[in-house]
Amino acid sequence: MEEPVDTATAILASAAVLLRERMFDDISYRALADEVGISERTIYRQYPTRAHLLAALSNWIEQTRFPLPPFVTVSDFRAAVHERFRAFDTLPAFAYVGARASAISPTLDTEPTYITRAIEAMLDVAAPTLNRRDRRRIAACLRYFSSAMFWARLRTGFDLDAGDICDAFDRAVDTVLAKLPDPTWAEP
Amino acid sequence: MTVPELSGTQEAILAAYAGLIEELGSDDVSYRVIARRAGIAERTVFRNYPTRVDLLLATAAWIEATLFAREESHSIFDVPLAIREAMERYDARPELAHVVAETAMRGVSGAAPSPGRAQLERLLDAEVPALDAAQRRAVIAALSHLDSVGTWVTYRREFGMDRRDIADAAAWAAEAVLDSIRDRVTPSRDTL
Repeated sequence: MEEPVDTATAILASAAVLLRERMFDDISYRALADEVGISERTIYRQYPTRAHLLAALSNWIEQTRFPLPPFVTVSDFRAAVHERFRAFDTLPAFAYVGARASAISPTLDTEPTYITRAIEAMLDVAAPTLNRRDRRRIAACLRYFSSAMFWARLRTGFDLDAGDICDAFDRAVDTVLAKLPDPTWAEP
Repeated sequence: MTVPELSGTQEAILAAYAGLIEELGSDDVSYRVIARRAGIAERTVFRNYPTRVDLLLATAAWIEATLFAREESHSIFDVPLAIREAMERYDARPELAHVVAETAMRGVSGAAPSPGRAQLERLLDAEVPALDAAQRRAVIAALSHLDSVGTWVTYRREFGMDRRDIADAAAWAAEAVLDSIRDRVTPSRDTL
């Protein structure tokens, strides 16, 4: 029998296929096992709880469907987030999985995500003399407004599409960056 | 926020489930254990909440309306205070906070991701009625987003912040959003 990918990844790829026709909650381990062609027990061995499956599925979707464009400047950051929100709009079922996975009680890796690190690095360059406390407040806020959670909340709670969500995101970024005193900005 | 009227039995089920989530986590709680904790028959739980998703949505709404209830703000400019207090409440019940956060992000299946939206709109329209539609929407969206358990989860998980830092940073962000409309307040004709 040929195995093009490892079992753990094969399970995630099949879960993603099933996600096109039903919600994550409606994907049973039984159905998933049938889709992959393995036993239900093998899935339990890889993903002992649905929370584990959700977290792993979200990571896999992030990497394969929503890779974050690299950014260094604030305007690159805005463009990268816009691109992501537009990608979320084209694959909403996948984006909801990301929003949900970022809300659950962490299962295994509690490492900050790549975008968190990238935002912190961006602020280090953009505002090198900013005090530590304000930098953290700003970084946390930018991170939270660039999240799948923000997209999901505005899509479900406010019926907005990616264009409107990008606009709301830009305005939030404007208000937060306006808190930075001018002299803390690096010389252009 | 409004919660549909609950029967005594339903309230007992939701309280029992919330208690068990704090002890065991949300994945491992069977209907049998919930029924035993609530002192009722398992089939009564099924009759009220046919699926686990039904049960989870009802429980999250109940937690938000009781354990995480916030004092009503009388001004849009008081919202940062409510956010600060809400973050402290989430921090005291981390397991329940995660359950509420995840439930709000379920997409279409009956979850209400912005329960406080109507209240924010009422306050904003009373005090700052002259905003254009896009700006009004952006202010409401930003404050709804910040005034939610997602803030607590994200700040904790991504930045390792503790209770004080989260409460401070969330309230600070809300003040930043309000800075954009501070000079747009219309004097009220019927001030109490």
